Amino acid sequence: MTSHDPGLPSATPETRAAFRRLILSLADSKRILGIRYSDWLLGAPSIEAGIAASSMAQDEWGHARLLYATLKDFDVDPVRIEHDRPAEAYASVDPLDAPLEDWAAVVAAMFIVDGALAAALEGVLEGGYESIGGRIGKMLGEEEFHASLAAAWAERLAGSEGEGRERFRGAVTAMLPGTLRFLAPDDDAHRALVMAGLTLSADELKGRFAEKVGGVLEGLGLTLEGAGDAEGEWDAGRGRGAGHPDEETIECARGDRNRALFVE
Amino acid sequence: MEETTFDVFARKNRGDALFHIGYIEAPDPAMARVYAWKTYDEENWFEMCIVPRSEILPVNRTDGPFAAGGRIGRSA
Repeated sequence: MTSHDPGLPSATPETRAAFRRLILSLADSKRILGIRYSDWLLGAPSIEAGIAASSMAQDEWGHARLLYATLKDFDVDPVRIEHDRPAEAYASVDPLDAPLEDWAAVVAAMFIVDGALAAALEGVLEGGYESIGGRIGKMLGEEEFHASLAAAWAERLAGSEGEGRERFRGAVTAMLPGTLRFLAPDDDAHRALVMAGLTLSADELKGRFAEKVGGVLEGLGLTLEGAGDAEGEWDAGRGRGAGHPDEETIECARGDRNRALFVE
Repeated sequence: MEETTFDVFARKNRGDALFHIGYIEAPDPAMARVYAWKTYDEENWFEMCIVPRSEILPVNRTDGPFAAGGRIGRSA
């Protein structure tokens, strides 16, 4: 593994922009995922599940903060990037654009989206970008508990009969195409990162993801290969599809109302 | 969904005694591990472990909080 200096001073402008895109898309995804988890502090199937959702929300927001801070290496002001962007500028993974409508969708997000984000982080860790390696190790340590909970719930729902299984299968089916396209983009920016050794190839990332989710998908009668194409045009600038999270969620992420009163 | 009571034990430092710090309820041990870690995360624990309450065998009394096992006597 080659070590890469902060800011990638010897890389091409295209590679620097691609790495900035990757880090921002991971940070935004974790920020929105934290909000989606936090929606289920109340209404989870048990108080313990609600506490776990709360704790995972805190983890995701912490991860997002660390990833945003890394953007300073690329002359990006983390405060502005966290608080001054419209919803259309968010680079979060497509399946998080709308709130999760039931616990089956929460488990699907834990399992599919959070699993894909962990695979993407593994790619960055193995890419050897120097100033972020230790932080990603800590994040992946926390993600092990998310993965354990996701697997336990996913196996339970996939192995059940009736509405729970069907709702979970429906949510997984809906999330897979956009998640796969986000994780393993088929574009020049991702290829530049792979060429520079800053992350894993699309096939390797899909392989990592398959190791995490393949068994449960099989139990649901689904495969990664059969996931189908993601909807909407690819937005190469953000590294995701053409949509964006709902405005209400982004107002919450930016902290608009109370920030104006108490911070600025 | 049938749930089991798991008692949670932890120590802050290597060599410390293992303390009973609480309990959680979960459908299976895999979920119980995460629930325990996420529920009792106020300390930076060196070690945490969980035990199904039904596996704890009372030694000196039959009316203690652990004596009934399972979901009964949840105030241990």
